[in-house]
Formats: sequence, C-alpha cells, structure tokens
Amino acid sequence: MAEDKKPRSLATQAAAKIAKFVRGNMSATLKAKEEGKKVAYAYINDGQDEIMRAMDIVPAWGESFAGVCAAKRDAEKYLQKAEADNFSRSLCTYATCTIGFDMWREELNGQTPPDAPWGGMARPDMIIGSAQQLCDPRFKWPQATQHYLQDVPVFVGNMYYPPWDPKRDHHEQEAIYVKYAKAELLELVRFCEKHTGKKMDWDRLAGLVDLTEKTWNLFIDTYELRKAIPTPMDTGDAMNTMVPITFNLATQDAYDYYKGLYDELIQKNEKKQGVIENEKYRLLWGAGLPSWFALGDFQYFNDKGAVFPAEVTYRNAEKLERLDLPATNDPLERIAWRWVRFWTHWYDKARKRPGSSPKVERIIEYIEDYKCDGVVFHSAFSCRSWHAGIIHQAEVLRKIYGDIPILIMEGDIVDISSYNEVDTHNRIDAFIETVDAYKAKRS
Amino acid sequence: MAHALGLDIGSGYSKAVICENGVLHSFAVLPSGGDYKGAARRVTDMALQGANLSFNDIVRTVATGYGSSMVDFADHFATDIACHAAGIHHLFPLVRTVIDVGAQFSKAIRVDEAGRATYFLLNEKCAGGSGKFLQIVARILHITIDDIGPLSLTATKPVEFTTACAVFAESEAVSRIAEGALPADILAGVHKAMASKIVNLVTRVGLMPDCAVTGGGAKDAGLVKAIEAELASPVTVADEPQITAALGAALIGAEQAATGKR
Repeated sequence: MAEDKKPRSLATQAAAKIAKFVRGNMSATLKAKEEGKKVAYAYINDGQDEIMRAMDIVPAWGESFAGVCAAKRDAEKYLQKAEADNFSRSLCTYATCTIGFDMWREELNGQTPPDAPWGGMARPDMIIGSAQQLCDPRFKWPQATQHYLQDVPVFVGNMYYPPWDPKRDHHEQEAIYVKYAKAELLELVRFCEKHTGKKMDWDRLAGLVDLTEKTWNLFIDTYELRKAIPTPMDTGDAMNTMVPITFNLATQDAYDYYKGLYDELIQKNEKKQGVIENEKYRLLWGAGLPSWFALGDFQYFNDKGAVFPAEVTYRNAEKLERLDLPATNDPLERIAWRWVRFWTHWYDKARKRPGSSPKVERIIEYIEDYKCDGVVFHSAFSCRSWHAGIIHQAEVLRKIYGDIPILIMEGDIVDISSYNEVDTHNRIDAFIETVDAYKAKRS
Repeated sequence: MAHALGLDIGSGYSKAVICENGVLHSFAVLPSGGDYKGAARRVTDMALQGANLSFNDIVRTVATGYGSSMVDFADHFATDIACHAAGIHHLFPLVRTVIDVGAQFSKAIRVDEAGRATYFLLNEKCAGGSGKFLQIVARILHITIDDIGPLSLTATKPVEFTTACAVFAESEAVSRIAEGALPADILAGVHKAMASKIVNLVTRVGLMPDCAVTGGGAKDAGLVKAIEAELASPVTVADEPQITAALGAALIGAEQAATGKR
C-alpha cells in the first residue's frame, strides 16, 4: 500500500500543471497501442527525441514511470519483483523499478499490473536505448528488459563526446565525434524505419530540430529569469518544470509550456514576488538526481530561508548562440554537433583555471551568475555513474574556489529504504548554519 | 547566577551539562535506551542534583542530538555540528578540525576562529565508522565498552579486517575468535578499520591543526591512538570528550540568555 505524503507546495502555477503533463505522457503510450501507433521504451537526454517524434513513435519513459512510482512512494513492489530475479538493490533503481513492472506485466500476459501508478506504461514495440558515456545502465537496461520482452527489438546507439583532458584541445577531436554520432543517429533512423514500416520525412525532422532549438533557447531565457533577487522559482519547482524539456522535446507542447512559464516568471519578477517572503540564502543544486519520494525537503530548505535559484540537474539545454554550432543543412549532423558541443562547452573555460574541470566550471558559473551562497549535492547510491563523481567535484570546488559551504546529502532516487528524514533534516540544519557563518564572514 | 542547561540526547547516550556564567558547573551521562524523553528528564535531574540546583534555576535549555526533538522542555534546539564546534572552541580555542565519534555517526567538522562550523561531513549510512561498531564487537567479545580501549592497547598482532562493514565485521570477528585470535588483537583491528574510515572523512574536509576527537569514541584510548596513527598527526582529547556537544549546547544557551537572542 502506498504511503501518502503531503506534496510540496509549488511556487509557480506552471509547475503545478506538470502532474497532468506526466500523466498525459504515460496515458499516451496506452492510447497509442489502441490506435495502432508504435511505442518505444526511451531514455532521456540522448539526442534521439527528434527522430522518434518525426517517425510518430510514442516514447514510454522508464525514468518518468519510476520517478512517479517513487514520488507516490509506491515503487517497492516493483523493486522487490526485480530483486526476486537477482537484480541487486545497488543497480539503478529507475531500471530495476521499470524492469520489475515489465516482469509483472509479462506474468499477466501483457495486462497492466493492478494499481500501477497513473495507469502504468504500455508494452513497447521497440526499445531505443542510447549509451551515454556516463551511464552504464543505458547499455544494460535495454538488454535486461529484452530478457523479459523477447519479441521486442532493441537499438542501443552510442552518443559519445570528447573526454575531458586538460592537456588536450578537444576541438581537434570534435569532428570525429560528430561524424560518429551522426552515423549512430542514422542507424537509429534505419532501425525506426524498419520497425515502423515508414520512411523518414527529412523535412519534418529538420522542422523538429528547429523546434527543439527554439525550445532550448526559450528554456534558458526562462530559467535565467531566476537570477532575480528574490528568485521567482527554485529547484523544488524545477524538478517539475524539467518535464517538458526532458520528456517532450521536439513537441509544440514543450515550447508552449515554457512560453507560459516565461510569462509567469516575468510577472513575478515585476512584482518582486519570490519563492519565499524573506530570502536569506541562495543555494545551487550542484549535482545529483533528487529523492523523488522526498521532494518536500525543498520546502524544508525554504522554511529555513533558503532557495535554489539554479540547478545543474536537468538543465540539459543551452542557448544555441553559446554553442557556436557550424552551419549545416543536415538535421542529423546538426543534432550531433549540438550534442557534442553541449557536453564540451565548458571545456575551454575549465582549461583556463588550473585544477578545474568542466563540471566544476559549470558549477562556478552558476554560483556567480545566480549569486549563490552554498552548494548542495545529492548522492543517490544507485546512480553510481553520476554520483561517483560528486565527492570529487565537491573537493575540486573547495580547492579552487575557496571555502564555499557544501552539503552532500545521501539517499536514492527511488529506493525509500535509503532515506532517513531526521538525519537529512539535521544535516540541512547544520548546513544552513555554515552558510550563515560564511555569509557573516564575507560581509 | 545565570545557569544554562545543555542536553545532547544521542542514540547511544544522553548527556546534560549545566554552565554557570559560561563555565562548566556540573554534568551527567546515562544510556539513552529507547525512551529519549525519559532519558532527557533523568539526565537533567542528575545534572541538577550534581549542581545542587532546581530546574527553576535554569534560565535557558538548549537541546541537541538525535533524540532532541523529544525534549519537550527545551527552549531552543541546535544542531550537534554547531554544538560540537562551540563546545570544542570553549575547551581548545586553537582547534580547527573536530572528529566526533558518536554511537550512530562519525563526523569531521572544520571550525573557524570564532567557534563556528564551516564545513562538515558525516560517515555514510553505515555503522562501520561509528561507535555502534565498537558496541557490536564489545558484545561478541563479552567485554564492556569501557574495557575496549585499555585491552586494545595490549595488542601485539592486530587482526586485519577484510571489510569495513560492521555487519560483516561481526561475523568476521566471530570467525577470528574461532581461529584463536586474541580479543586485544581483534579490537586493535577494529580500531584500525574504523580509523581508516574516519580519517577518510577528515581528509575530505581538509585536516587543519589543531585536531580534537570528541564523542564517546574519544574515551577509547585505542581508537584515539589508531586515529593518530592514520592521520600521522597528534590529536587533542578533552577530559570528558563525551559531553562536548552538551557543553556547546549549554554555552549556546548561556549566550542566548545573555544577549536575549531567541
């Protein structure tokens, strides 16, 4: 039985609309099956959105489903199901939650398991994975899923970008990585054509690439409104407002959503209406996925006078002009350049500061742009590919940027057994004291 | 005379300190058990009795620790990080790094010249680097927690533990006993494993001398010695290291009473 938890109060009306958005994405997969459309299991931030949308493939996002299960505190039944088949608890709990759901549905001959949060997701017609350099489940999750959905074809592409090396100018390598990424995207197009029986409409794809880039620009323009003091929106809301750019990229709905949020934040700034009445501390969410079952902790920060005007997490977009992309009429090449340059566009800056790294440079940029007094990281034990670097990032930050207060919280994205509210709140209390001391010292 | 009461209701022990005009006047320590509320009242009574005072003489009560929310007579709640920083600064003003070995957590805290915590790290949600580890091993060796330190100092051949996990180490210790390992050598091995985890925290916050060890773990001479060896640097230990956070709480209370700050 799921344990109900009072949801966090949201600062923006736009954030409050997100539940409908997420539910709509999940029900779209079920409706697609009724209408004979193809459904694909898909994974976020992999450069494949425009291709899927151009082929009328309806994405079913495991990361979204698992996040919903976690937020409703109803993931345990799926985690246990996966664990019963020897999937370790230390594996990605997005993956194990969704695999547990898949296992259960197969046992029911394709029927959705009873009481699936928000109706669950449809059984996919294909699985479109992409191995980012940083996330090993991007390889293994699709493979493991196919173990249970044996008739479902799997594609796992490789979207690489030049690794960080302070001694090497990555610009010399970029073209090779772009060529490779473009080839992988073309393979994905062929895979989709084969399994949908349709040919790619290249003009449509180019239009969707333009729409994505318009959305990226608008998204950053919108989020930069949060530089205002007091900030009109913080990370507690951003963990909701990330949904359209993460799960609905290359759709008009996503663009329209951010237009609405942009207008709302402009209005709030005009009225100097902040997230909280007395904004005392401005914090950066430096890295890490949140505990979806404990989003109320953002409220706890707010109650202490702290707000998060910026976060690294889910800010997977940038103003296109800052990426300086070479001109091309080839939409796949455009996606590939955008992909490579997004991940590498802090490299030049990092090279100029001895001992720095691109991830730390990004954090420093946000600290300064958003006038932050401290940095919070969340280390989710099951997301080791990202979180393994958090301690290192925190140490590099302190080494090269001085004694800015840092808090490393511990938990998980889905597995509530990792969470201790009293301990978490104690750590937050102590951290706020260090931020207070830091501010007092600086003034 | 202005008396302030500091209470540190930890998961293992409850500590009460009464300060008179900013000076330690009396203290008491007792096991918390499962009833934090009752433990807070009992340890307060003990400290009051030691000072020959009644609760009406207390101008301000500040509570900290894992069970502090159960102290229904506290005027203020402070974090244990702030209390350790304030307590150690009062005792040793030159200390800039504090290692607190409590029953549930170990912490490394950086303290500034004003006695404020500037950075801290806690051990992971694991008993491996905390006092709980010592309690587990004391139980299987059939010795008291107070015997651990002196006994471990007689070790000649410390056992190398292959795990830093308290749960696995428990079974490993049982196996080593069965193999004939001496309790002293087992304890020295446990200290070494704990010190390694604790010093990892210290390295991450950045060791800045002077360094002090506080908490119940600091009463264990063997553990302190292992920490010094691992740090390759001496550490300072107060006469009563277990009451440092309660002392800090009392000092915070005294300051609040003096300044009228709430």
